[in-house]
Amino acid sequence: MIWKIALRNIIKNARRSITTALAIGIGGLAALLFGGFVTSIWYGVQTSMIQEQGNLQIYRNGYLEFGAANPDAYTIQNWDQVAALLAADAMLAENLSVITPRIDLAGVAGNAETGNSKTFIGTGIVPSEVDQMRGWDGWSIGQTGTVTGLAAGGSDSVIVGLGMARMMGMCEALAVPNCQDAPIVEEDLTGEEQDFSALVEEEGGLGDQGAGASKPQLNVMAATSAGVPNIARVGIEAAQAQSVRAIDNSFVMMHFEQARSLLYGDSQEATALMLQVVDPAMVDAVKTRVVEVLNGAGLDLSVYHLTEVDPTFDRIFGMFSFIFVVVAIVLSIVIVFTIVNTISMTIVERVKEIGTIRALGFRKGFVRALFLTESTLIGVIGAAVALGGAIIVSNMVNAAGLQWTPPSNATPLTVQLMVLDNPIFAAAVVGTLIAIAFAAAVLPTFKAARLNIVESLQRA
Amino acid sequence: MNTLNDPQSFAYDQTAGPILSAAAEPAVSFENLSKTYRMDRIEVPALRGVSGQIERADTTFIKGPSGSGKSTLLNLLGLLDRPTGGQLTILGEDVTRLSDRAAADFRAQHIGFVFQGFNLIPVLSVRENVEFPLLNRKMSAAARKDRAMEYLDAVGLSEFVDRRPGEISGGQRQRVAIARALVSEPSLVIADEPTANLDTKTSREIVDLMDRVRTELNTSVVICTHDTDLITPDSSVIHIIDGQTAKE
Ligand SMILES: Nc1ncnc2c1ncn2[C@@H]1O[C@H](COP(=O)(O)OP(=O)(O)OP(=O)(O)O)[C@@H](O)[C@H]1O
Ligand SMILES: [Mg+2]
Repeated sequence: MIWKIALRNIIKNARRSITTALAIGIGGLAALLFGGFVTSIWYGVQTSMIQEQGNLQIYRNGYLEFGAANPDAYTIQNWDQVAALLAADAMLAENLSVITPRIDLAGVAGNAETGNSKTFIGTGIVPSEVDQMRGWDGWSIGQTGTVTGLAAGGSDSVIVGLGMARMMGMCEALAVPNCQDAPIVEEDLTGEEQDFSALVEEEGGLGDQGAGASKPQLNVMAATSAGVPNIARVGIEAAQAQSVRAIDNSFVMMHFEQARSLLYGDSQEATALMLQVVDPAMVDAVKTRVVEVLNGAGLDLSVYHLTEVDPTFDRIFGMFSFIFVVVAIVLSIVIVFTIVNTISMTIVERVKEIGTIRALGFRKGFVRALFLTESTLIGVIGAAVALGGAIIVSNMVNAAGLQWTPPSNATPLTVQLMVLDNPIFAAAVVGTLIAIAFAAAVLPTFKAARLNIVESLQRA
Repeated sequence: MNTLNDPQSFAYDQTAGPILSAAAEPAVSFENLSKTYRMDRIEVPALRGVSGQIERADTTFIKGPSGSGKSTLLNLLGLLDRPTGGQLTILGEDVTRLSDRAAADFRAQHIGFVFQGFNLIPVLSVRENVEFPLLNRKMSAAARKDRAMEYLDAVGLSEFVDRRPGEISGGQRQRVAIARALVSEPSLVIADEPTANLDTKTSREIVDLMDRVRTELNTSVVICTHDTDLITPDSSVIHIIDGQTAKE
């Protein structure tokens, strides 16, 4: 009967009920869509990063803390044996799809033809294995990365950032879109750079390696672990945009073997081992197992989760979560005021009815229940509007195939509003809407229940 | 004045033992009841020590000029308000200072109300309005419905059960209200100006109806009215003037 009274009063005051339910519905819709976007960021950005770096990374102890100052002191020795050790473990063999080494390096790169030169930061990777990592889609969100473009080229091929290509005066040679070569100003070369060019001339034999002759050539120089400068001539396969401008301006990606021999000669050293886990749900278990294996072998190595190494994901997700919380609070306040207003109006209109109900022997709790039911029902209707609307709008947006580039990415992702893909979140929003509708009515209903019976009955 | 001569007829309240055993007592007795309304600093003495009794299964009229305190007295008798002083006993129980909750429970068990403005719940059908007080009882929905139909039949409204209060006449509404007041089978029915919104003919019918169900159900009925023509000859009358009982 309480439900009947509540529902019929909602219908009786249709306009007011619809306005209130719409306020709840639109607020909930906004929360669901924004949450769907944040969800897609959570999956999308992590997927991009896992495609790029793997889920877990192994470093020499202390590298993350002190390695930047002296990278060569914190390399993984005999990385190939460490990789073999991990691959030999049954649990890891089953759960890891890729174990691949990486070298981070920095040095000076010069355009062999123009004489332009500048510092570079680079990475040496095994192209075929990184290409395999970029195909990872552990959450089945249909997001695949592009291949490195290094696998096809010879072992001396490299990829550079667009900015790097521009500064090295290679826009035309690399057919970089929207890029014009900076004017070549020979006079700008510092003495040091001229020395470097001269050094290349001296070495002579570096040039014209393999099929790289037709590609633009680059001389890369880096300090070996012994502190001696070492030089390699490489062919630029392509220029690719990088996410961060500063990196894009100095990025060089080369074959692992190239980087390794440049820095470490015959020694099997690597900066990191990147591990890709087939099922993202298994990451923690895999990490635990890796720790066991490394410690069992008495190795001075640690394994880190992607987010421990690279704070980008936590920052992006943290930022959007913060925005979501702020938006949700504002929406909640609007909803609370709307409901308080609606229920208070209903109560004022029904003071005499309240007096009658109390006179008929119903306790205060019944009066509260009556109006709380009404408010909760409006909340349920509003939540249904929110959920239905969110499903419709998200399908429309997803079908439109909008693109956006998260701060961590060089290439855009397709906007996917994941509303029902995150059922816990959707249920939480729906539950919260109903809970707010209920809670907002509590105070007005307490006032209603406390009304003086005689005075209420005297109302017209 | 009617006297109570058939205690066996109190079949409607099996739960309240003391009430049966005290059957010879009046349904309601009040001693030196007073009520002072306080509006800011001004005190309005609406009742200044009234005493009297409502006999069981009797119809008692309360009459008096406007503003004399009739409604105030009825509100006290119906446990809708608390007296400032004096003592009130209903069905042998001292109810002068019941808590809000105990008063509600007492009303639900023992008191029915008929209001001047009918006070039906507009969104409920006639039948649902009559069923409504039974929500306070542990009854199945089917039993509630049957009981409501029984009482609607008694007030001659079986044909209108599915209508809303807005779709029937004033007299019919007051019949629904009477059915609602009686459906929980109270010992005491309180009606403050139940006919004030009705024409003379309908008013007569309503008072006769209440008188009839009173005899059938052995309920005490207290009716407050301006209209002395409505007072049935063999009923009791309490005359209030200026917050005090007047000698006839
Ligand atoms: N809530 C209230 N606050 C203050 N004074 C009140 C209140 N209710 C009634 N009074 C006063 O108490 C006195 C008695 O009022 P009451 O309503 O009992 O009279 P009544 O006999 O029922 O009158 P009527 O025949 O007009 O209904 C009046 O002077 C009235 O103004
Ligand atoms: Mg009155």
